[in-house]
Amino acid sequence: MRGGSSKILAHPWLSIAVRVALGGIFVAAAIPKIADPPSFAHMIYNYRLLPGGLVGAAALWMPWVELLAGLALVAGVWRRGGALLAGGLLVLFVAAVGINLARGHAIDCGCFDVRDAGKTEAARFADMRWVLVRDAGMLLLAAQAFFLARRERSRQRI
Amino acid sequence: MRDRPILQAVLIAAAAGVCAIVSNAAAGPQRRVAWRGAISPPAVPSPAPASVSGASAVPAAPAASPASSAFAPHADTAWVEISGADASALHARGGVPFLDARRTAVYRDGHIPGARPFSVWEADADEKVRAFFAEGHEPSAPIVVYCSGGDCEDSHMLAQKLYLAGFDAVFVYKDGFPDWRKRGLGTAKGANP
Repeated sequence: MRGGSSKILAHPWLSIAVRVALGGIFVAAAIPKIADPPSFAHMIYNYRLLPGGLVGAAALWMPWVELLAGLALVAGVWRRGGALLAGGLLVLFVAAVGINLARGHAIDCGCFDVRDAGKTEAARFADMRWVLVRDAGMLLLAAQAFFLARRERSRQRI
Repeated sequence: MRDRPILQAVLIAAAAGVCAIVSNAAAGPQRRVAWRGAISPPAVPSPAPASVSGASAVPAAPAASPASSAFAPHADTAWVEISGADASALHARGGVPFLDARRTAVYRDGHIPGARPFSVWEADADEKVRAFFAEGHEPSAPIVVYCSGGDCEDSHMLAQKLYLAGFDAVFVYKDGFPDWRKRGLGTAKGANP
């Protein structure tokens, strides 16, 4: 049974699907941020986690990391590096949203849309909880992409 | 290199840094962000949220009316928050600069007539404030800044920049443009005030 599920998880087609799906999500998330860095800077500022002086640099750099990590996953080039970065970013996002949820500070996630959506506080909190669940799921995908690529490589060496 | 994920990740992150530098350098002023320091949270505490007009509403009156004293300079604090009634009174007075702290793209979709775009999130915000000062506005004459109301702090950030530039009669229209629209007051569209 264990061998069966392991085989399914390690199936090449599943690996490709996971990689492409995760990479595609990262590319889709990066594009609006790259298109409108001032709005993304505003979103980062709203998290109240970074000093004001670092908000601009984070708003400029982070979306490109997302984009290139996503492209690496989709293209299958440096996919373990891409998966590692994707996983790192997801841990960062979970921590940022989690801290704000824990301290009762309602924010727009800014994950796929950097414009102010004008949501109510209750709607923002509901979104934040959903983001935590979604990002935890994506973290599993990143883990699959990272570890399965290693296993594939070891198999190729044999 | 072929199976060194940490090195791959570092190289991808470095490439992202190069892309960010090139992209930001090539961007227009409304899409550009300052790499360091331009975004500063409003550090000067706002006074009590009570309206300037307090218990008695400030009438829309000419400059010589008692309203003039209500909008007096306040050199000890960066800004004073005002209500929609106060903002509309100052607007009706004429000659009072209204500065819109929201994104320029949002400004184009609708703004208070006569207001000028002064987004604090765009890289040219400090430049605009300096240029505004160089226009020779009286430092103790009222200036109204606004954004989207609610928990929007852009107007407070802009007020702080103006205060640090030397203006000491900056009034933050706390409820901002949504309140202005709700009051049925006139609005303008497009890139020009």
